[in-house]
Amino acid sequence: MIEVLESLVLSLADDELLIGHRHAEWIGLGPILEEDIAFASIAQDETGHAQAYYQLLTDIGLRTPDEYAFRREPSAFRSAHLVELPNFEYDYGLALMRHFLYDAAEQVRLEALRQSCYEPLAGLACRLLREEKYHWMHAQLWIKRLGCSTEEAHSRLQSALNQLLPYAWMLFEELPNEEEIVAAGWMPPSTELHRQWIARITPILEEAHLSLSPPRPDQLLPLQGARRGARSPYFEELYAEMTEVVASDPEAEW
Amino acid sequence: MASLDPRIRRAEPELWHIPPLPLEPLGHWQTYEVFILRTRGSHAQHVGSLHAPDAEMALILAKEQYARRSQCVALWVVPTDSILWTSPEDEDLFLPATDKTYREPQGYLHTRERLNKYRDRLKPSAS
Amino acid sequence: MYGNLTIRPEDIENWGKKVQEEDPEKLAQFEARIARGEKIEPHDWMPFEYRRQLIRLIEQHAHSEIIGALPEGTWITRAPNFRRKLALMAKVQDEVGHAQLLYSAAETLGKSREEMINDLLSGKSKYSNVFNYPAQTWADTAVIAWLVDAGAIINQTTNSKGSYGPYIRALERICWEESFHLKYGYDSVVYLATGTPRQRAMLQDALNRWWRPIMHFFGPPDTQSVHTEKLIKWKVKLATNDEMRQQFLDMYVPKIWELGLTIPDPYLRKNPETGRWEYSDPDWDEFWRVINGDGPCNKERLAVRRFAEEKGRWVREAIRLPSARYVTPLA
Repeated sequence: MIEVLESLVLSLADDELLIGHRHAEWIGLGPILEEDIAFASIAQDETGHAQAYYQLLTDIGLRTPDEYAFRREPSAFRSAHLVELPNFEYDYGLALMRHFLYDAAEQVRLEALRQSCYEPLAGLACRLLREEKYHWMHAQLWIKRLGCSTEEAHSRLQSALNQLLPYAWMLFEELPNEEEIVAAGWMPPSTELHRQWIARITPILEEAHLSLSPPRPDQLLPLQGARRGARSPYFEELYAEMTEVVASDPEAEW
Repeated sequence: MASLDPRIRRAEPELWHIPPLPLEPLGHWQTYEVFILRTRGSHAQHVGSLHAPDAEMALILAKEQYARRSQCVALWVVPTDSILWTSPEDEDLFLPATDKTYREPQGYLHTRERLNKYRDRLKPSAS
Repeated sequence: MYGNLTIRPEDIENWGKKVQEEDPEKLAQFEARIARGEKIEPHDWMPFEYRRQLIRLIEQHAHSEIIGALPEGTWITRAPNFRRKLALMAKVQDEVGHAQLLYSAAETLGKSREEMINDLLSGKSKYSNVFNYPAQTWADTAVIAWLVDAGAIINQTTNSKGSYGPYIRALERICWEESFHLKYGYDSVVYLATGTPRQRAMLQDALNRWWRPIMHFFGPPDTQSVHTEKLIKWKVKLATNDEMRQQFLDMYVPKIWELGLTIPDPYLRKNPETGRWEYSDPDWDEFWRVINGDGPCNKERLAVRRFAEEKGRWVREAIRLPSARYVTPLA
């Protein structure tokens, strides 16, 4: 049963780790100083969430957060492909849309986890929701503002949404051992969370005049298996960069 | 020389071909003045200004620039151009020309003396 | 973080004339106010040259912060553990935040942020030379966070005794945040110095590369830099370059030696008679070459800033209100 718990927590933690990593690539390059600062805080928060999730595993005698994040074999990662995607051309529309889709999902997940029968997880979810509130305010205000502004901004957001939606959809791919997870009362079924997520993003997207059309199966097919260890083509480079210093001297403490 | 920054390497070669287009006036939006309420029961305090496209965005952005570390229970933003101020040339407005201590507690330091004198007078003389 | 205000002879010639054209009575009142230790606020009368020199000083400081975010920003995605990664994100975020505060302070003197950024991107306005050097390894980030930020604190603490209200208010907060950077930097350096042989070698190597830029950090020696009584009288400049450099050496050389590191200058020593540090010439020609654009990273730094501004342009334009009106921020 401990393996099931570990794989659940890793899927939550790895998402946070990598979204924080990708958001952090914007620090110093944001569209205006004030927003650079705000987004840097969000990146820190997400990275801190990852650390807190891994700590739950440390607390039951498994590895430390640093071991999970920086010294784990790449095949053991359980992140969704959405968070592995690079920032490509540094289009802030894409960054904001990923932030919006991801934080909506995170909020839905955390709200559900508050009721988790695994008490440490429930307690953590209550704490993390405090920071999530700001992320959501930030994300939805930006999407609404840009969506209702110029044609260029609107079309950038729409194409970002089209590009990211299949990836975001797969945040809710069924987890390995999901039956056991649900039966234990640790987390509700992914399909339920997925439904809530759609309900959360739809009104904001409508207000921003953005259209959401569910991804086709052929778009989703290549993205399957992330929670079982199938990594995206972007993961390898990300992992090499993230662990570069640690790998340079495996005995060292930093 | 290739950049040592992996982020920048990913952005190449576009990086080297950005035309030096100057920013236009208001390219970074207008400014808002930011006030912070550090604790319940305290006065709001001016902490600086920031650039934002509208008041709601100003609040969202002020939260991280002005309250990411310091204790804070509420934030206010005000468009800079709605604030009026007194001119430094009018600083003398705030200086009284005559003694105005009658409206301050320090103006009433001798009350006890008066009472003491009265009581001294009432004391039966020692003759 | 920040380097020093470099005053060029041509500027001094210009201001010499202008100050003479100012209203003598107002000028006397202004100078008397500063002499009494009172602060100047944005709406006060001030001589044109005071305004101009302050804009230059604060603007260079702001540019140094935003450019200074780049060499270390490089390493965020490679930081070796949670604590370092989070701290580095927070530190680089602070540098961006400092730029925001300083641009705001400079704006109160009448130059818009857009104009300042344009002058940065066109190369007209300078920033601290130290950021034109690359951060080659993780140890570089530790050395920067410790020693460059230490230099910045000395500089900024000095400047915070200046006469201009908005600048000293910004510096008060900046110095507080820099003290976190310094502690973070020192902690990182100590981990390397007390770590594996490879870590120690990496640290020594970084110190070797950064020592000269750090010696340059406080600006050219007093014999080469032009001082003006006026700027000191106006409390725009509060200590000479050499005074600040001596202070830095006094505070940090013993700490570096304590870690068993070698400072790459065989002539560095404190003269017991004068109480002053002596060192070999850190190649001031290189300093001027880099200031004039020919450093290892000048081109990249400006290209990256230009890239960031251009990538953000559509975002800013999209939500700018047509009714927006710019006024100078208050404080």
